[in-house]
Amino acid sequence: MANQKQGDGSREQFIPARYQPSLPLDKLIIQDGSEGAGDRMDLDVLIVGAGPAGLACAIALAQLANADGSELNIGVLEKAEALGEHSLSGAVVNPRALRELFPDLKDSDFPFRMPVSRETVYLLTKRGRLRLPTPPTMHNRGYYVASLCELVRWLGGKAEALGVNVFTGFPAAQLLVRDSAVVGVRTAPAGLDRDGNPTAGGAAPNDLVAKVTALAEGTRGLLAQTWCQWQRVPSDNPQIFALGVKELWETKQPLDRVIHTLGWPLPNDAFGGSFIYPLEPNLVALGLVVGLDYRDSTLDVHQLLQTLKRHPLLADLLAGGEMVEWGAKTIPEGGFFALPERRAGDGVVVLGDAAGFVDVPSLKGIHYAIQSGIYAARAIFQNLQTGASLAEYDRLVNASYVARDLYRTRNMRLGFRDGFYLGGLRAALMTLTGGRFPGGKYAMHADAEVARHVGAETASNGGVSKVDAVFKSGNATRDTIPSHLIARGDVPPEVARFYSHMCPAGVYEAGDGGGSLRINAPNCVDCKATDVLGPRWTPREGGSGPKYKRM
Amino acid sequence: MKIAVCVKRVPDSETRVKISPDGKSLDEAGVKFVLNPYDEFAVEEALRRKEKAGSGEVAVFCLGPAAAQETIRTALAMGADRGVLLQTDKIPADPYETAKLIAAALKPDTWDLILFGRMAIDDYNHQIGSLVAQLLDLPCVTAVSHLDIQGAKGVAEREIEGGIEVLEFPLPAVVTADKGLNEPRYPALKGIMAAKKKPLEIKPVQPAAGGMEIVALAPPAERKEGKIVGEGAAAVGELVRLLREEAKVL
Repeated sequence: MANQKQGDGSREQFIPARYQPSLPLDKLIIQDGSEGAGDRMDLDVLIVGAGPAGLACAIALAQLANADGSELNIGVLEKAEALGEHSLSGAVVNPRALRELFPDLKDSDFPFRMPVSRETVYLLTKRGRLRLPTPPTMHNRGYYVASLCELVRWLGGKAEALGVNVFTGFPAAQLLVRDSAVVGVRTAPAGLDRDGNPTAGGAAPNDLVAKVTALAEGTRGLLAQTWCQWQRVPSDNPQIFALGVKELWETKQPLDRVIHTLGWPLPNDAFGGSFIYPLEPNLVALGLVVGLDYRDSTLDVHQLLQTLKRHPLLADLLAGGEMVEWGAKTIPEGGFFALPERRAGDGVVVLGDAAGFVDVPSLKGIHYAIQSGIYAARAIFQNLQTGASLAEYDRLVNASYVARDLYRTRNMRLGFRDGFYLGGLRAALMTLTGGRFPGGKYAMHADAEVARHVGAETASNGGVSKVDAVFKSGNATRDTIPSHLIARGDVPPEVARFYSHMCPAGVYEAGDGGGSLRINAPNCVDCKATDVLGPRWTPREGGSGPKYKRM
Repeated sequence: MKIAVCVKRVPDSETRVKISPDGKSLDEAGVKFVLNPYDEFAVEEALRRKEKAGSGEVAVFCLGPAAAQETIRTALAMGADRGVLLQTDKIPADPYETAKLIAAALKPDTWDLILFGRMAIDDYNHQIGSLVAQLLDLPCVTAVSHLDIQGAKGVAEREIEGGIEVLEFPLPAVVTADKGLNEPRYPALKGIMAAKKKPLEIKPVQPAAGGMEIVALAPPAERKEGKIVGEGAAAVGELVRLLREEAKVL
């Protein structure tokens, strides 16, 4: 897998995996009782990540305990400084799982914004647009535009009202284990200096120990990855990811519909599209999502979004408006065949995006995350009461609409691995046959194993710079913390440039001539793209990273 | 040592605030509120004084809406012992009215030290500490960047223009904290758990309107967009011309 010259000898390629450090499992998994922790806290159930999956699990557990008259000590760890600040999604939400979690509430009680009443899908060319029939998987009537930040804050309030302990500002950094069982996590220390030494105001790591640990870290979860590798939990296909870059705009022109676009400015060998959702008529979320198996090493999702904004469709909408927030996040796109064979083990379950419960054709994951939290809560509660196996969680998910939905569209995203037009044809056939075409499965490579052509450098085409973008993410990480990114220092110039384009937050800079790789780690907004394609991501001190408000 | 710390719930400095349609108040929708950063120094100092003395109590007082309980819980999570919320939906524009309510709440007890932040980052008034000291007839040292307590005597350092002023004062006293007084601690997990069970007394208050009224709030003038004159030596001439003729600074 060395650098290969293609037949014509002019186009170089490289394979990102070759330059990617492996997960440092020896550091990520430690025996319970290992030295180095400050406080130690015992819980019944520990949930890692206060997103929709983790909070739904906490709420459902507390509801079960209340109904039963038993007491459960439930703790939720969250790396963001405050609830919702690391949560980002489109988002159009299917309320199905929320209705199940709160049977006494009406849709109007949920923290949704506008209901989807009209929707349009366009195929864009540089100046033009072709309205496409909305694919059946993309019908959103009856669903709601929402800000995931707001949904998470609301869920967090519900959880706390039920007696759940939500600890914001505490990232889980290591798995605590005993034999093959997960018994809890160790948090990241706070207040280290640039060289990683503790300072006077700092705080040592904490050990949180529980009977069951639920990993709900979200996309590309570090500990979920660690557990799957450690316990050798396979999946049919490797998980693949997309990177979404999103902006929130206050607009002068009102928007009355949900819009999705395909085509321009993406090259034909990249999979992706844009979304334009009104939270209010004059408050619009827009973003561009691109599969990280793109072929051109200089493809830059953030820059492509800036280009897209100059299309008349968006330029007219945004004229005179103001960008009020910016953010980025990866999305697990592998679907059914990329799910870990089991999401339950000894003392542990894996939920939501961390498990890969996302359906790409319908662009939905939030309700699956919530539903997986509800199922996990049932399995955990039984486990605590009767000692029944946590495998009940897998059984519940496999028998549910979560697995059914993902199975129906099992090959749709994968069919696009060979480009947009062939993918579109395949997707149409899959829809017509209810997912039976073409039979079997498309085999996928992990994104980092997909060869990249060394693309040409193009001048920035204006729009929001990455520096301004990071500012608008609310990221005020102190610049004296040690780097949390594990990179190889000796990457070739073309790979350094690949990183600099891949990262939407300007963390990576290729030096003059691309020679050296400079890492501006505090810029990182925890989107995890780097962890998929290059340098590994690890958690830093609590409260670092973005502070999303309405993303 | 028995120490009172008076704190305020303020919008996070990172928050982009909007003015309400009435033109006189902030639109609080979507605004994140935090413990006033200068008050964090005050809380930290109180905890260190108590720890150094080996015994005592740190009580946190806050005037604000019901949501300010969270602000008090933050201080309790850092290690304060109990909280008192003087609950009102309207913080008076006149600092004297706020000071009267806080002084009245502090008065029934005897304190060795009463700490404030030197100002709240939302209204920049710098007044409550001094006013409360006056109302309680106590000495007051403001904007303290270093504090030492020796028995019934305090020694404070204040950063003044071009130097440091050192003051001695008798306890009990009111001290307001400046940046640099200490490095506030991160709340510990155990502290956060414990804070939920610490006593937090809620006393409704009805502030008088006082002698002041906010007539209008206005955002700062927008900065004009910069312009790139050119690059390298060739641009110098044009830059000098613009500085002379347009900016009129040469």
